[in-house]
Amino acid sequence: MPLSAAEQARYSRHLLLEQIGNAGQERLRAARVLVVGAGGLGSPAAMYLAAAGIGTLGLLDFDRVELSNLQRQLLFDSSQVGELKATVGRARLLALNPLIEVISHAVELTAANASELISPYDLVVDGSDRLAIRYLVNDSCVIFGKMLVSAAIHRFEGQAMSYVPGKGPCYRCLFPHAADDLVPNCAEAGVLGVLPGVMGTIQATEAIKLLLGIGEPLLGRLLTYDALEMRYREFGFARRTDCAVCGDKPSISRPGQDALSAAPVTALQLRDLLRQAAAEGEAGPLLIDVREPREFSVGHLHNARNIPLGELAQRLPELTGDRAVVFICRSGRRSAAAGSMALRAGMQHAANLEGGMLAWAETIDPQLTVAPG
Amino acid sequence: MPLVVRIPGPLRSYTHGAGTVRATGHTLAEVLEDLDRQFPGIRFRFIDEQQRIRPHMRIFVNQDQACQLDHGLRDTDQVHVLCALSGG
Repeated sequence: MPLSAAEQARYSRHLLLEQIGNAGQERLRAARVLVVGAGGLGSPAAMYLAAAGIGTLGLLDFDRVELSNLQRQLLFDSSQVGELKATVGRARLLALNPLIEVISHAVELTAANASELISPYDLVVDGSDRLAIRYLVNDSCVIFGKMLVSAAIHRFEGQAMSYVPGKGPCYRCLFPHAADDLVPNCAEAGVLGVLPGVMGTIQATEAIKLLLGIGEPLLGRLLTYDALEMRYREFGFARRTDCAVCGDKPSISRPGQDALSAAPVTALQLRDLLRQAAAEGEAGPLLIDVREPREFSVGHLHNARNIPLGELAQRLPELTGDRAVVFICRSGRRSAAAGSMALRAGMQHAANLEGGMLAWAETIDPQLTVAPG
Repeated sequence: MPLVVRIPGPLRSYTHGAGTVRATGHTLAEVLEDLDRQFPGIRFRFIDEQQRIRPHMRIFVNQDQACQLDHGLRDTDQVHVLCALSGG
């Protein structure tokens, strides 16, 4: 279908570019792009993609807007603190461009829903803030044959790369695996507010180029940006024939089939497990709370033991035995890292309480006090 | 003449905040050893007990990836250590 008069007017500056023109703009209108994470990277990426006329834009984030987000996440404003990012983000994008469709996914991306969420899209922009999600997105894109534009940030530094099925290496070819306990995140390390603006805008640029098939995408090239030095660098990397997901003999053939991720268990599932064990007079799973002692002392689950994440590597030998271990923390992040660490060390059955004590307090025990992180 | 080594942000606590340091050596292994002499403990963050580059760290010489520690170096080479970043 040719562009309408409203589209002709809105996208007129694109139509003047010979690399885009009417045909290219129609291609963007037909495109479906999923932005994973409506944070520092996802905000500018989604806004530029909406403005550019991507016909169907998905916005995936289960978080709510926090005051500390507003230093860099321009998709939101002060009146929206406490609101679901996917919901208010969608409204903002539609206000920017009512000619497109925006789908909000206010859910967490998991191994179980990755197929359903990612399959309908042509391209994924990864702006997630956890390595576990980063690998899940990468593996899903390889498995489902989707294009991917990935970026990550830390303090004053950014990294970006693109993946096109069958045409270059994937994120795992560069970093075969990494765990969240090894790499600090923005909440822990801080981040220059403008930095994700630069990197998210690079992601939007790459996404548009890939959808149009123009220019030279970041295939087999890692672009790094150092804001303090104001310097971009580029590093070449090749597809690994032994890559666990895109290699010649992949060991990962479905999302989440990464042996380094502890099994997620919801608060309701854990409550039922504990009830069942108590009813049958069994010990049930070992509950290991990996928060700091000051957080643990404010409130914790009955029978939970406190082993702070920083001490876990040395104290893993205490957890040998037949009992399954459920790692617990405030929000599920540190416990996921603990689970990965335990699995790497050879533990057979490690689980991670999804959403942590916050989820437990919300769904099981509203009287429980959860210490701030 | 020592060559330039770029340190990723997450490991700059070892280099007193410096992003660029200098180290000497004819191979990557020698440069990393010199780096560890200057900044004790930093090598173990790049290299595991089996003397392999850790999978969340990558080392590039100029723009090309160096996968082996016996990779030869010239004085004019720049060594870049990169780390998987998680922030979004």
